[in-house]
Amino acid sequence: MQVDLTALRQGFVDVGYICDENALLTVYLALKLQKPLLIEGAPGVGKTELGKTLAKVLQTELIRLQCYEGLDETKALYEWNYQRQLLRIQIDSRQDGNKLEEEDLFSLSYLLERPLLKAIRSPEKKVLLIDEVDKCDPEFEAFLLEVLSDFQISIPELGTLHAENIPVVVLTSNNERELSDGLKRRCLYLYFNFPDVARESKIIRSRVPAVKDHFAAEIARVIAHIRSQEELRKKPSIAETLDWTRALVALDKKRVDGAVVSDTLNLLLKNRQDQLLFHRKIGKKGIDQLLQQPDTPGGEQRCL
Amino acid sequence: MSLTAPAESHFEENMAAFAALLRAEGLVLGTAELLDALQALRHIDIADRTAFKTALRATLVKSERDLEIFERSFERYFIPLTAQAEHLREATLQMEAESARLKDAAGELSFKGEPLPLSAEEMLLYTSLPEEQRQNLQRFVQETEAAEKEMRPLRPLLETVVKGHLRYWHSRKEQLSPGSGAGGSGGGAGGISGAPVNRERRLRESDIRELSRADLPAAKALIDRLSRQLARRLVYQRQRSASRGALDFRRTVRANMRFGGRLFSLKYRRKRRSPLQLLLVGDLSASMKRYSSFVLQFIYGLQAAVANLELFSFADTLEYLTPALKEQTGLEHILERVVLEGESWGGGTDIGASLTELFEKYRELLTHRTIVIMVSDTRTVRLSQALAALQKVQERVRQVIWLNPLAPEEWSRYRSVREFGELVEMWPCNTIDQLEKAVSGRLFAANTYLEQEAGNDDQTYSYRR
Ligand SMILES: Nc1ncnc2c1ncn2[C@@H]1O[C@H](COP(=O)(O)OP(=O)(O)OP(=O)(O)O)[C@@H](O)[C@H]1O
Ligand SMILES: [Mg+2]
Repeated sequence: MQVDLTALRQGFVDVGYICDENALLTVYLALKLQKPLLIEGAPGVGKTELGKTLAKVLQTELIRLQCYEGLDETKALYEWNYQRQLLRIQIDSRQDGNKLEEEDLFSLSYLLERPLLKAIRSPEKKVLLIDEVDKCDPEFEAFLLEVLSDFQISIPELGTLHAENIPVVVLTSNNERELSDGLKRRCLYLYFNFPDVARESKIIRSRVPAVKDHFAAEIARVIAHIRSQEELRKKPSIAETLDWTRALVALDKKRVDGAVVSDTLNLLLKNRQDQLLFHRKIGKKGIDQLLQQPDTPGGEQRCL
Repeated sequence: MSLTAPAESHFEENMAAFAALLRAEGLVLGTAELLDALQALRHIDIADRTAFKTALRATLVKSERDLEIFERSFERYFIPLTAQAEHLREATLQMEAESARLKDAAGELSFKGEPLPLSAEEMLLYTSLPEEQRQNLQRFVQETEAAEKEMRPLRPLLETVVKGHLRYWHSRKEQLSPGSGAGGSGGGAGGISGAPVNRERRLRESDIRELSRADLPAAKALIDRLSRQLARRLVYQRQRSASRGALDFRRTVRANMRFGGRLFSLKYRRKRRSPLQLLLVGDLSASMKRYSSFVLQFIYGLQAAVANLELFSFADTLEYLTPALKEQTGLEHILERVVLEGESWGGGTDIGASLTELFEKYRELLTHRTIVIMVSDTRTVRLSQALAALQKVQERVRQVIWLNPLAPEEWSRYRSVREFGELVEMWPCNTIDQLEKAVSGRLFAANTYLEQEAGNDDQTYSYRR
């Protein structure tokens, strides 16, 4: 695949996806080695978004397979179009004479393509996003592994179909269940932490352009401070940061302070216990104190 | 980036050695990963240390847990050349300083002009003592020297005293700085969220009864998260098993081709599983309080995934917790109240009386579908009565499982563990990790699938090929 690092970096910037060099280089290597990329990390840190971004940057179609428990081949790979098959059988049985063969019914024209088959049969290289792979069952995972190893699919009635172009594969997982060694072995691995303050304020500015630099930095600092509470049941994700920011903009806020945070807390911490924890451990005062301290330059990390 | 042949083979050896180090630290690494790594290195500038590290990380690491090991090992193994030189210089300086101090020490601790026969270790210990302690010892030696002029030879006694003193200080030091000596700083750069990962791992793997007070809130949050995660998974499973009862179109079409599209014979997928009925009896006596409340909290979090859940606690008497929970109040409060109100405090844990009460007063809760979970370290008054009561309960229900917080190595030491263990299935689970594994892996795996219906004549649907 024709990719170079500089172009990729620029592509991410153009699309407004803010990642660090580690993530960028890992993506680059996955493309170069033509290996699937497995991304893990807490909810809402941009795993799915990376898959989508990659399709945009590579200017190709995104094919998404959303995993869930119970997902099977008929939803992921292909299914026969039973309505059409039945219709055909019915029509056929009226005009007796020529005998309907099984091959007639189980041919490409009765095949419904699902994401995996689509990605494999596509004449151009596509981005295949297998989202939340930890939600599918182990049997399906084993099947996925097979597909990702050979990029070929055999359909009993039709024979084997080979990939014309090996797709760019991105898998995401929230780590609800350990994935099999086999699958992990096929993939390059990328772990997403919550972003540091510098990167998060860039994300804020990129996604909510109405926000000024200083305001974005304040928001990011507050979020980082809240996330530092290890006892939270659910730490606010980037998605929540963005929702919150948009709400603050809608409320016409230009600055953050303790009172603002407290008034809009349910956008950041969705459950009651976490909200109580916030009041107990940080509170309005804690936020005000935090924002009075000078910006700590410690979190300087190279961002794109 | 191309590497010349001889350098390359040296380089590959180096990489293999690094892989071996990671393996020794617990990473699962095969040749495939190593080849990936070498291939990845061809696409980067290996003089760029950060890029070099990223390429290795992307190819050799396969989980969040491995990440932390990788960071540590990388910093140790690939020491930058400048830092290497620095290390060496520091180490040399340190050694020189040490040997100078040793010489001084030998002079300070001499008796009648002759150094005391202390081992090198003891000498080093002496040199690392605070000034004040060193002077104390010196004074002691000098005073003994003065005293000997009048009395019998004191040298042997003196030696014993000095050595004993040093031993004392040695053990004091170890107590004051637990875990010192191991690990060390391990290089500054990188540091990908080491702390939280470490912390969670520690919480998961340490003995619940030995968690410090400061750890409790985080441990509770962890328990809560794990149990909700598990519940979600189990609910999915159930929903899915219900949907498996659906028509299997592929097989139906096949089977009905010859009937001209009329569906005479319908083919179905597999049938549903039966959800669990759990009844938990937890020992809330002083020694078991923390452990049991963790288990209670964990199982309570699974509520959504089981058909029915009944909670009991006991110390000297039985307490039915479920009704209070239905009037909301929250598990934690209820446990606190139960522990505080425990009327006849100090009456001693009585498993027999509690189980007898369970059997007599709550008989309708004990059905052939119920799985009873006992949470206790087996310590009880009147063991034989307790065994008899347990047996009676067991005969009424599907299964009794005993969660024991004692480490399995200790089991053989207690008669009560052995005897209860002969009667019912006893599972060790003294850490959060084990608790989760026992409940998700053993309890649910063994029991949710029990009632799978026989299905139909066709072979089952699977992902084979
Ligand atoms: N690096 C980033 N740059 C710009 N926007 C980002 C970035 N990371 C996340 N976002 C924003 O955060 C939102 C959440 O990200 P995303 O849905 O990809 O999270 P996720 O990790 O897939 O979460 P989940 O595990 O819940 O599926 C996205 O809508 C995206 O706009
Ligand atoms: Mg996602």
